[in-house]
Amino acid sequence: MVSGGVSRAQILGLYRSLLRTARQFTDYNIREYTKRRAADGFRENRDLTDPSSISAAYSDGIAQLQVAKRQTVVYSLYASKIKSVMEMEMKMPPN
Amino acid sequence: MSYAMASKLVASALRRTLTRTNATYGVRRLSTSAMAAETETYDDAVTMKGVKIAARPLYLDMQATSPVDPRVLDAMLPYYLARFGNPHSRTHLFGWESEQAVETAREQVADLIGASPKEIVFTSGATESNNISVKGVMKFYKEKKRHVITTQTEHKCVLDSCRHLQQEGFEVTYLPVESDGIIDLEKLRSAIRPDTGLVSVMAVNNEIGVIQPMEEIGRICKEFNVPFHTDAAQALGKIPISVDKWNVSLMSLSGHKIYGPKGVGALYMRRRPRIRVEPQMNGGGQERGIRSGTVPTPLVVGFGAACQVAKNEMEYDDKRIKALQERLLNGIRAKLDGIVVNGSVEKRYAGNLNISFAYVEGESLLMGLKEVAVSSGSACTSASLEPSYVLRALGVDEDMAHTSIRFGIGRFTTEAEIDRAIELTVMQVEKLREMSPLYEMVKEGIDIKQIQWSQH
Repeated sequence: MVSGGVSRAQILGLYRSLLRTARQFTDYNIREYTKRRAADGFRENRDLTDPSSISAAYSDGIAQLQVAKRQTVVYSLYASKIKSVMEMEMKMPPN
Repeated sequence: MSYAMASKLVASALRRTLTRTNATYGVRRLSTSAMAAETETYDDAVTMKGVKIAARPLYLDMQATSPVDPRVLDAMLPYYLARFGNPHSRTHLFGWESEQAVETAREQVADLIGASPKEIVFTSGATESNNISVKGVMKFYKEKKRHVITTQTEHKCVLDSCRHLQQEGFEVTYLPVESDGIIDLEKLRSAIRPDTGLVSVMAVNNEIGVIQPMEEIGRICKEFNVPFHTDAAQALGKIPISVDKWNVSLMSLSGHKIYGPKGVGALYMRRRPRIRVEPQMNGGGQERGIRSGTVPTPLVVGFGAACQVAKNEMEYDDKRIKALQERLLNGIRAKLDGIVVNGSVEKRYAGNLNISFAYVEGESLLMGLKEVAVSSGSACTSASLEPSYVLRALGVDEDMAHTSIRFGIGRFTTEAEIDRAIELTVMQVEKLREMSPLYEMVKEGIDIKQIQWSQH
């Protein structure tokens, strides 16, 4: 199915790439934010029907993906030596 | 050697982005082992200020400063690399591309506050903008105007600029605030004199987060034809700002409170009717002579990008931050009694929750909350044990002013962090109250305010 020159497969591919890139952020807060913002962004635009607004949203998503891809590299280069307390929790048994 | 190390890091990072295996932890291990040669410990703990820190605390101090948004850093980096030109160089590409970037940023900043780019002057931050506004306006119009009105809860840099003016013979009225932190408009009206040269009231308070009635204050200033300055460092990007609705003549803005870089800010200066200031810094005449000194292109670009992201994200962030604030307040209230929110709850920016915990000593509470980065008030005064002058201006009792904690929630705060903050705060307060004889007496029904403490 093609909508506004952007196929459904392309949109789903973008979503998957964004989530995959988001998971690579070494910083806990940035990682969680990027995942959340991507999911919410796609949810907000789920009901778009106008082809031009679909392609505008798609190219905005592509631009965001490029930013995220560059920044995951920058973040990994300067990753903190100690983790956030929020990441330590995962290792501890739930109480 | 360091070059080899760096390229190894780049290679490992790139490999990770390409293979997308469980890379988050993989790369951390790789990068730390590569750096092990130059740092003594790398696996679990560092020692700072005598405290052994095994993990980075969760950050709830957004009023002090905010993390840089990756979108902002992404916009800035090119101007630290090949595009390093001086934006004032008129003879080559390096200057032109920098100038273009600075002007784009000027438009982005102006856009967020409903101003014209021509009305924006880049400065080093809100402190400098406040200094130019308060001192610059009064010194420019010193022949006729000898009086300034401000409030008791302003930021230190406004209050100190006013003190400076007093030493030079100007008069200053420090308006009191009500117990909710909001000024009384009638008191403002009656404080205005024929020789009043400036009214300066901050939009969102840095310590307690209350929002002053900007439109009403602007209307009163217009009525008396007095220039109105506001310190909007804590308001920018968080509440909708319109310089025309507020009728401000001058407005101070800051980059690092809105996920931008530190060391950059702006001053909005109205063109119609024109407000003029005496420069506080003299030199090459940059920024129309109001703020000489080379404009720092990367910082300004970052500030502009932060404004643009803030404009796009304001609604989304606000909804989230409100929900998180509610979660935090309800979570603490459900488990603890004797807590008071300082400042108005309704007329408040949700990202700032300033709470006092009765029968607890504030410094012990902050020390106990090692895993939560919070502050008792402004970062500027966090070194002193004095209770905050803002809380005292609200009429908060000395003992309650001593136990305040400011929780600052932001764009990158998660629900899990809020839940953890609730858990740790409740645990710490309960522990301290258990030790407190005062709390025991209160539980027995003794009103501690009635006790006559004997003098020794």
